[in-house]
Amino acid sequence: MTMSTSFKSASPFESGRSARLAWILASYLLLSALVPAAHAGAVAVVVNPTVNVDDLSFAEFRRIMLADRQFWATGQPITLIVRAPVALERTVLLERVYRMSEARYREYWVAKVFRGEASDGPRLVLSSEEALDLVGVIDGAITVVDADDVPEGLKVLTIDGLLPSEAGYALPAPEDKRR
Amino acid sequence: MLFLRITAVLFSLAALSSSLLADGQQGKRERPSFRFSGFSDVVFKASDESDPDASSEFQEGQFVLHVVSDISSRIDFFAELSLTARDSEFSTEVERSIIKFTYNDFLKASLGRFHTPVNWWNTAFHHGQWLQTTISRPAMTRFGGEFIPVHFVGGILEGSLPSGPAHLGYVFGVGNGRSENIARGGDAGDVNNNRAVLLKLFSRPSRPFRLEVGGSYYLDKISRDGFEDLDEALASLYLAWSGETPEVIGEWARIEREGETSGTSFDSSAWYLQVAYRLPFLESLFKPYTRYEKIDVADGEPVFTTQTDSEGYLIGLRADVASFVALKGEWRHQQTSGNPYDDVYFFQVSFAF
Repeated sequence: MTMSTSFKSASPFESGRSARLAWILASYLLLSALVPAAHAGAVAVVVNPTVNVDDLSFAEFRRIMLADRQFWATGQPITLIVRAPVALERTVLLERVYRMSEARYREYWVAKVFRGEASDGPRLVLSSEEALDLVGVIDGAITVVDADDVPEGLKVLTIDGLLPSEAGYALPAPEDKRR
Repeated sequence: MLFLRITAVLFSLAALSSSLLADGQQGKRERPSFRFSGFSDVVFKASDESDPDASSEFQEGQFVLHVVSDISSRIDFFAELSLTARDSEFSTEVERSIIKFTYNDFLKASLGRFHTPVNWWNTAFHHGQWLQTTISRPAMTRFGGEFIPVHFVGGILEGSLPSGPAHLGYVFGVGNGRSENIARGGDAGDVNNNRAVLLKLFSRPSRPFRLEVGGSYYLDKISRDGFEDLDEALASLYLAWSGETPEVIGEWARIEREGETSGTSFDSSAWYLQVAYRLPFLESLFKPYTRYEKIDVADGEPVFTTQTDSEGYLIGLRADVASFVALKGEWRHQQTSGNPYDDVYFFQVSFAF
């Protein structure tokens, strides 16, 4: 029986099917290499695990990043954690969320604190690892990191119901920085 | 009195709330934190005024220090100190000194000395010359001016209102109101046993981005030795679109004063419209701007001592040459008290540090 099965698997018909499967697999791998996935370079919104939120509208996310909203619905204070200049994450925030240049962004926070509308600007971090470390230990913290840098088990929010891997996501990377 | 009681109860609740004193957490900064920042500027002015001695001069701008102290996770202290050049010295002023209890987005309670939130400019830029596009403040909100009450000593409740995409907010204040010198707030106490009350409502809608519209109403009683007390009501409206492409700021205010015994009333009004645009080339360095403004003071107005009719426009150019340094050049064509128009030219370096 075993012999027969082995023989059948080596039949010309089976060989043809294997070839087709191999061709499909090869094509898929080739296309995967050539066509970037939807999330390539997109930034993910990551929050502290104690934050009782799974989804934010883009408008609410923007209000949070502008510190116009400073508390989660549960009353937890929101702590903003933002990458230092030239990082992909900061570029996406400036272009998509703040719609400001780096200079105007700094001016915005100087004014916000000077007006007494916030006691401080966002916490500045130099790497995704640092951002993820902090967001993991500060209650109510929120940050954005390259979606490819988010390890399993962290709480990633959907924006308008979409994850970074989905088409139409609100925080894609700039064209020139997509991988 | 009702307002006072409500305010006192809310402040007490906020102060007693144990959540306000929640402190210290892994990854958080040490408390109390203490941070300084500041603003200053230097101006060169030239004019065609008749006095040749005043035709051109350098002016040292205000030296402003801003202090923020993060006392606990929900209690902050803000202060703004200014040193202003006078003929023989620098005068020192505590412009703002505010302790703020933040319960949540819907309720924040503050006590201290504020810039009165009866319009937009007064609380948007404070004494930070670098923050405002222009060199000069609008005449209606000029520091040391009399039109709006620039300072307010008392308590303020503020926060958001559940309002969907309109994103409404409120500010409610009770304070001493104007002093006998109406350009000042009642710093050392109230000049009469009547608190000033203000209510401001505003909206920061999701779209257009960075638009704020609002209005306020302010009630006070003005008491001066040897003169009849006057009831004062100030209403104002504003629109501020800060996106820079374009930037549009417009404000209107009307003050009605009525003698308590005579019933004689005096209505004065002021408004301005400012438009600017951040040019997209040369790394968005330049922002040209213009503003028209006008103040109409009621005939026989009994309270203003220095505020007169005024009207004029200005045209200027701002260049942000570094992250926290701006060069501004400005031409003002203005008239006060029906006198001939003056043309005054200003050049300013303003910065934050």
